[in-house]
Amino acid sequence: MSLHQPQKQVVAGAVPAGAVSGQPSARRQRRDLAPWLYLAPTVLLLAVFTYWPLLQTAYLSLVDWNLNPGQSADFVGLNNYGRVAGSTLFQAAFLNTLIYIGASIPLKVLLPIPVAVFLWSVGQKGHFYRAILFLPTLISFVVVGIAFLWILNPIFGYAKVIFAELGLRFPNLLADPDTAIWVIIGISTWKVLGFNVLIYLAGLASINKELIEAMRMDGAGDITIFRRLIWPLLTPTLTFVAISTVIFTMQQVFTPIDLMTEGGPSNSTTNLFYMIYQYSFVTFDVGGGAAGTMMLFGFLMIMAFVQFRVLDRRAHYQQ
Amino acid sequence: MLSFSLKSLTLGVGLAVAASLGAAPHAFAETEITFYHYQSGGNYDAFRAILDDFEAQNEDIKVKDIFAQSQQITAEVQAALAAGRPVDVATVIGKNIVYFLNNTDAVDLVEASKGDTEWLDGYLPNFLDLGRVGDAVYAIPHAYGTPMLYYNRDIFAEAGLDPETPPATWAEFLAAGKTITEKTGKPGGAHLHASMGDYGTMVMVTNAGATYLNADGTEAEFDSPEGIAALQNWQDMAKNGMMPIATDSEWSGAFMGGQMGMYITSSAGLRAAVDASEGKFALGVANYPLFKDAPRRVNNSGAALMLYSKDAEKQAAAMALLRFISQKEIANRWSRESGYMPVVQDPLSDPAMQEYVTSFPYVKAVIEQMSQTVPTNVWPAKGTLEAQTVIRAMLDELWAAKRPASEIVPEAVAKVNAALAVNR
Repeated sequence: MSLHQPQKQVVAGAVPAGAVSGQPSARRQRRDLAPWLYLAPTVLLLAVFTYWPLLQTAYLSLVDWNLNPGQSADFVGLNNYGRVAGSTLFQAAFLNTLIYIGASIPLKVLLPIPVAVFLWSVGQKGHFYRAILFLPTLISFVVVGIAFLWILNPIFGYAKVIFAELGLRFPNLLADPDTAIWVIIGISTWKVLGFNVLIYLAGLASINKELIEAMRMDGAGDITIFRRLIWPLLTPTLTFVAISTVIFTMQQVFTPIDLMTEGGPSNSTTNLFYMIYQYSFVTFDVGGGAAGTMMLFGFLMIMAFVQFRVLDRRAHYQQ
Repeated sequence: MLSFSLKSLTLGVGLAVAASLGAAPHAFAETEITFYHYQSGGNYDAFRAILDDFEAQNEDIKVKDIFAQSQQITAEVQAALAAGRPVDVATVIGKNIVYFLNNTDAVDLVEASKGDTEWLDGYLPNFLDLGRVGDAVYAIPHAYGTPMLYYNRDIFAEAGLDPETPPATWAEFLAAGKTITEKTGKPGGAHLHASMGDYGTMVMVTNAGATYLNADGTEAEFDSPEGIAALQNWQDMAKNGMMPIATDSEWSGAFMGGQMGMYITSSAGLRAAVDASEGKFALGVANYPLFKDAPRRVNNSGAALMLYSKDAEKQAAAMALLRFISQKEIANRWSRESGYMPVVQDPLSDPAMQEYVTSFPYVKAVIEQMSQTVPTNVWPAKGTLEAQTVIRAMLDELWAAKRPASEIVPEAVAKVNAALAVNR
């Protein structure tokens, strides 16, 4: 609409050529086509790299075929889905996915809020801390994974050596099914925290500080200001952070899982994303991998939908 | 007049260009073949030097080598084949060979030899078995390894053990590991598990005389008394304190850093172990420990080469390359320069190899194990991930040592077979 508005102003008062004959003018036709032309590159890229692969994956999930051009693809209906969903690996991966997502809400979505509010409130002085917090975001997950492997190495790791100096024994965290997943969650939180703080800071920057001053003059305390003003105005940012964090959590933990645990011990750290990788690229079970991908797609769709329903309705987009 | 001259000139130039274009293919006829591999660093230099020598002898053939990480090579080759990109010779990880046989159009090397199969006879027959289907041969050994016992002579001496007599049996291995841990406080030893525990478990039970998977790869059979006893050894390693529960890379790092007494891993790591030990500790290399009185049977690790050329000209060029690589002096040279296991029969009949063994005695144990190497077991396409996941979880449970192997292993085998049932 906004694209059309200036055009209307320019031609106001003039008689369009097509109006006389009752036919749409060439200029009008070009004008109607313009938005589609602008959209075309994006639509084309989406079609080629997103929607076509999605359709192809849906097709692969219904056939028994391993991409060999010389082989026929036999339609097997929902067999691949049944096989994957019935495996203990899928059950463990699904449960762990819920744990990763469940843990990411308080740690990656909510924890950055007080940190961001603190940095925002201290103004210029907060820049140094902001840089320190953002630094882990810039480090590759591979580097982070290797660094933590060295720290937690049960034979000669730094943690073991330091604990030994204190006369204590450092537990083998990555070998214990009860603790390994929390190591992965902890590392991914450390890595993502600074990024989400930065997004919240951007959201906070849009809040008019005069409103805070006005509330203070009315006698409102810090908690009241946060509850009544900052929190409501931060909800659009919170919606974005929550949805993107939940969706990307599975990708974020992929590298530490692959580097540090390979999904073990006893499937305690694997997730749906890693399971799909294993189906498709470790054992080359294309049908299983495609079925897993479609199930993950459905799961993420539901998660995103629920979040939109829950969060977006509560978001305040105007000050 | 001018018009006529211009026309003549244009025609003349056109004819000359057309003639030169027509002549070009004959003057510079060249066949390019594509070789997928995972060699890097010094190994790549040795690999490329062999390809360069081949090109020097066959001026009309160019070999384009395409690198992919060893963990990615199977996916890369599969993707190239699926996309119709040229693949003439592909390096395929041993355990994936059956998958490739079932899911890709590999060329039978016997058929492609057109009656002249003498070049295949140079390879050790047990090394060819991995790619053999009836009379057909689909893969030749290239970058093979065999599990060896690496030990730290200094730690042995520190623990009061004789560095000249490394453990020869599993009982001795366990006793030595326990002694090292008790006397030095360092981890006594570990056994690589590799590929989600699949390879380590396979080697342990096979060496004990058990069958890991049946010939089709569709049923696990290692819940026999020998298989259970072999895996009880692995549990005992964790139970007696000699083996901290860790990943292969952590164990490898500990051994290479001179912090662990023994480590059983592939001979492919021999060069790296020698380099890492230099100036740090005295390295010892011995044969894989025997299980009681059972003859030694260890599965190969590593990769083989498969042929995919369909075009007659390219297939002939690729076959020429494979024949070149298979020559005893070239195969032995590749083994010497890369550190991989020799793959041709009687390697010591080659004077260069004899000289190599004298100057690099560690490799003697590797050569001794050549005849005791059996093909790595292969998995079917479906249910493999579930089955391998069960095996990895079985190892975690064994090492946690809350129940004996006699209870854990049969349960795991039943689960593996349930996962593989789809293939039967």
